[in-house]
Amino acid sequence: MQSSDGTIVRRVLAGDAEQYRLLVERYRAEFGRYAVASVGDLDAAQDAMQEAFIRAFDALATCRDPDRFGAWFFRILTNQCRNVLARRRDTVPLEEVDPPGGDRADEGLERGELGAALGAALARLTPEQREAFVMKHVDGRSYEEMAELLGVGVDALKMRVHRARDALRSLMGALR
Amino acid sequence: MKEWDGFSADAHRYLDGEPFEELSGAELAAADRLTAEVRDYAARLAPLDPSLDVEVMAAVLRRAPARRPGVLAWLLAPRTVRFRPVWVPVLAAAAALVLLVAPRGKRPAGPEVAAAPARTADTVFVRFELEAPQARTVSVAGSFNGWRVGALTMVRDARGMWSATAPLPLGEHRYEFVIDGTRWVPDPTAHAEVDDGFGGRNSVIVVGPKGLVRS
Repeated sequence: MQSSDGTIVRRVLAGDAEQYRLLVERYRAEFGRYAVASVGDLDAAQDAMQEAFIRAFDALATCRDPDRFGAWFFRILTNQCRNVLARRRDTVPLEEVDPPGGDRADEGLERGELGAALGAALARLTPEQREAFVMKHVDGRSYEEMAELLGVGVDALKMRVHRARDALRSLMGALR
Repeated sequence: MKEWDGFSADAHRYLDGEPFEELSGAELAAADRLTAEVRDYAARLAPLDPSLDVEVMAAVLRRAPARRPGVLAWLLAPRTVRFRPVWVPVLAAAAALVLLVAPRGKRPAGPEVAAAPARTADTVFVRFELEAPQARTVSVAGSFNGWRVGALTMVRDARGMWSATAPLPLGEHRYEFVIDGTRWVPDPTAHAEVDDGFGGRNSVIVVGPKGLVRS
């Protein structure tokens, strides 16, 4: 039987740091796709996820509800992903950012790979829209799950997803 | 509608999997195309490398021995201070005595003890303490009170130390603290722990016939 997040967190706080590995394995798998899609680059997603886990470990005693470690960690990860994007925006023009997998949008379309165009368009959304769209359509989460993870109301999340779809339709239309 | 004007409200409902009233063929095609693009994009996403776990744990284990919680962490973290179920002294008249082994058959002294139910020949008063300055409520749940949250509520002093005294029958008992009604915390200083059957650990106390308590 799998230990609950709360049990693992309590063991780590009691001094058994090795137990933290269980949380790393659990949430690397759970939120990995989200991280890659959010930052648009595998290496950057690895860095964001690694930094998020280390920050979470350092702040573990402040996790008020250890049984909801996942939601608490997700918010740390979201901030790390935003930091990656902010740093990149300062140094790399968006046009030079490759979508995940390394293919440029136009190359992907030539090969009939529709998803490459979407990756390029996602990079142009606001952070809130991109997060909401990825959670809804790439991760396949319900609005209720998203509200639980982000601490944002369902109506507000629907609005973000709708605006993201509208923006993507416009961006992808312009790419073609 | 031009392709880059965005989706209609009905198209959004369609994409959300909700009932919709009317959708033109062009809107339906655009919505389905977006769905197909997302599916293709998701299929191309490379998973994070599991070697990440190794790197994270290497960093974590390097930090763990020297781990020093900050002020905020210190304030927020529940902690146990000299918690060990302690026999209540029954002969002492002074209420401020540190509570130790209690001889049986005597009326215990001290405000905490006075509040406890009367003891029988087969029970011993045990005092529980937990320092948790940020907690709103703390109670002790264990095999001696049916694991009912709130059955043995603790009282907070000005320093954030919570305490409660209860008469326990002779024998072995298992318990945990419950903070704010939901957060179960085992006793990290307990001499014995057992698996609780739900992936957690219960602390163990043994009330012995000679006034000996092993926790």
